[in-house]
Amino acid sequence: MPNILVIEPDVVLAETYYEALTSADHNVVVTPSAQTGIMVADEFKPDLIVLELQLIEHSGIEFLYELRSYLDWQNIPVIIQTQVAPGEFADNGMILKQQLGIATFLYKPRTSLRQLVDAVDAVIPAKAGTQS
Amino acid sequence: MARPDDTSTILSQQLLLGVAEELKLPLLQVARLAEQGQLTGKANLTQIRSSAQTALQLLDSYALGVRLAQSPQDLGVEPISVSSVLYDTSQELDAMAKSYGVKLELHVAGRYGTVMANRRGLQAALTSLGSALIEAIPALEAPQLKLQLATHRSRYGIVAGLYTDTKQLTNDTLQKGRDLQGQSRQPLLGLTHTSGAGIFVADAILRAMNLNLRASRHHGLYGVGTVLQTNNQLELV
Repeated sequence: MPNILVIEPDVVLAETYYEALTSADHNVVVTPSAQTGIMVADEFKPDLIVLELQLIEHSGIEFLYELRSYLDWQNIPVIIQTQVAPGEFADNGMILKQQLGIATFLYKPRTSLRQLVDAVDAVIPAKAGTQS
Repeated sequence: MARPDDTSTILSQQLLLGVAEELKLPLLQVARLAEQGQLTGKANLTQIRSSAQTALQLLDSYALGVRLAQSPQDLGVEPISVSSVLYDTSQELDAMAKSYGVKLELHVAGRYGTVMANRRGLQAALTSLGSALIEAIPALEAPQLKLQLATHRSRYGIVAGLYTDTKQLTNDTLQKGRDLQGQSRQPLLGLTHTSGAGIFVADAILRAMNLNLRASRHHGLYGVGTVLQTNNQLELV
């Protein structure tokens, strides 16, 4: 089963994401902050990361720069699932896509649990395909 | 009596925008929990109710703040017991604290008599503050998931506030947050992952009552609260 790391600061939402992804046959670990996210990634070896950008102290963007600075983690697919609307990015999120390797961008208020699971499943086989 | 700028503070677009952003979270929770219930056949009705209650509390507090700021003449100030207000606040926050795994404690040691304040306003401010902190604490690097509603005597008066074991609750954090309100999605970056509207609504309600939201310490914990003046008339009795 693929390992999914979910970085989500809200406990209640995190629980729903955990349940939905676990039910879809994924190993899931949820953590609330960028700092703990890096530590968990080191131990858990995620195949995919679902990331909220609005975190306490270090933002999701800072997490991404940190993540991509390690050779081992440069190709881990990341799905952004955030409360920040896509239109709020000055460059329409191009830096996220081109420089930080974002697989998918999901706007949280418009993303159902089903859509999140579908987005994860769509990215996981693609990764497995490129590795084989 | 409210200060002249209080109406604009509570009615400011920045605060309204913050409240709108903040409301997304409990509404999102309701939507996802309902969907989860549909998928599994087991709806967590207790959690859905708690999330809806959180949204309603924030709206109520904001509306009360607007009313107090617009009609300071209606601001009824009466002798009230701080411990009783803290007890009622803890009852209001209980369900939310449970759903976030935060242990809520009431710490009222000693008898402080009564203070002069508007009961509804004070309780709304403390509830709004409490909701914001409960939401934030699990995502903070706090050694213990606990929030204490407490009162103590200081040289300025009786302090009523909420305390936890994070060093992020400082006057500096609050002031920077006030300055950044409306300019940043997270004015209280080190304290909460949301717009922090609950804290700013509490701030605005207290200002409308001519009180201040300040950082304070209580038995080794960090927190925010307000200083209330004792009712000297009743103290003599």
